[in-house]
Amino acid sequence: MMSGSLQPVVFSIGVATMATLVTLAVGLALARLLTYRRIYFQGFWETLILLPMVFPPTITGYLLLLLLGRRGPVGALLAGVGVQIVFTRMAAVIAAVFVSLPLMYQNCKAALVSVDTRFIDAARTLGLGEGRIFRRVTIPMATPGILSGVALSFARALGEFGATLMIAGNIPGRTQTIPLALYSAVESNRNAEANVYLAITVGLSFMVIGLVGLGERRAKALRGKDRVVGPKGGRSLLFNMGGEAP
Amino acid sequence: MIQASFEKRLPLFTLRVEFEVDAVTAILWGESGAGKTSILDCIAGIISPDRGHIALNGTTVYSSELAIDLPPRERHVGYVFQDYALFPHLNAEENVALALPSTERGRALEFLERFGIAHLRKRRPPVLSGGERQRLALARALATRPRVLLLDEPFSALDKATKEATYHEFLSLRDELGMSVILVTHSRLEAETLGNSIIELSDGATVPMVDYHAIATMRQGVPPCMPVN
Repeated sequence: MMSGSLQPVVFSIGVATMATLVTLAVGLALARLLTYRRIYFQGFWETLILLPMVFPPTITGYLLLLLLGRRGPVGALLAGVGVQIVFTRMAAVIAAVFVSLPLMYQNCKAALVSVDTRFIDAARTLGLGEGRIFRRVTIPMATPGILSGVALSFARALGEFGATLMIAGNIPGRTQTIPLALYSAVESNRNAEANVYLAITVGLSFMVIGLVGLGERRAKALRGKDRVVGPKGGRSLLFNMGGEAP
Repeated sequence: MIQASFEKRLPLFTLRVEFEVDAVTAILWGESGAGKTSILDCIAGIISPDRGHIALNGTTVYSSELAIDLPPRERHVGYVFQDYALFPHLNAEENVALALPSTERGRALEFLERFGIAHLRKRRPPVLSGGERQRLALARALATRPRVLLLDEPFSALDKATKEATYHEFLSLRDELGMSVILVTHSRLEAETLGNSIIELSDGATVPMVDYHAIATMRQGVPPCMPVN
């Protein structure tokens, strides 16, 4: 393996980690807003969040390019203060955020809905404010579902190709992620290098899923036998497919 | 004192409630699905009645006429839920501490001691027995220093031996607290042992409250409004 080949690995992990942190904060906040508050045009806002999941990634990338490019509404504003987004590392993070947000949002929402409202009622009668109830009761009880969202979002961000290519380019040593580096390697017959990327991706995926599984089992053990009823959507997407309800 | 006079439309019928509970234990009696828990929820502020008035110790917490509807945290109601609703991710001490103001968190242990479960302070609810969970739920509800106490079938999950011991504890606690208590139960024995008066819920409406013991004595031990088994 060439010495420079580790760069896409380090860069990809960095991009996926940053994107996951951003989607966790944004996805959880949006899920909270759209679960507990009555918002005008709720269906429209939810569709907007979920669109990147059904769009081909290149379409998402193109839309981001229109928005963040030098002539785009946001890009022009940023250019005015000397900030360029397109073809930078930041662009790779933005692309990863947009494509993984729907997964995080859906998992967080299902996890919040799965928390029995009786626990929230109990917390209210104990004198807790809504913010404290969310932090101390809802989030801990929704942790398994939220962790599924973290794993799926990280995996999606790690595997992002189309949107990244459109908005961040495929600049070796700068914006090249694992999927882009693998594509370039295969295209130029550097199969040994491609195989290394493949092995690293498989290893990383196992690690992420294993870590989240560990977290979920721990969270569920903490939740114990207590009654927590809710729709099936509250189950972990990773580990409860067709299994018994938590 | 609990004064309640309100109406609440439920999916299948409209609940009509009219009663006054002084510093005694009032038994709320009615069939399953009669709306007993909905009455407790209205008093606690978890759901809002459609119209009427609710006052706790003279403080109006709900009034459709005056447009008052205090949120649960401002009503100071101790509520023991049917399944206790203990937070499974927190240990016994943390369950109680969560109900205390930040400056008083250290006092959680006192409440556990009062209910004889201080040695279980690091255990979480899922590993506690039914009786221990019930004590923890009571300790947590009383940690908020409530004006009134609402108990939704608190003894239903206990075995017979535990129940009898718990009844005695409850009676001594009630005398010590001196606050109005509403206890929902299906058990005749529980009603006879623990209640001073009875609020019967029939056909979606409460019938006027009666002094349970006086009438029960008159009718040779057969309580009014209760089926004779």
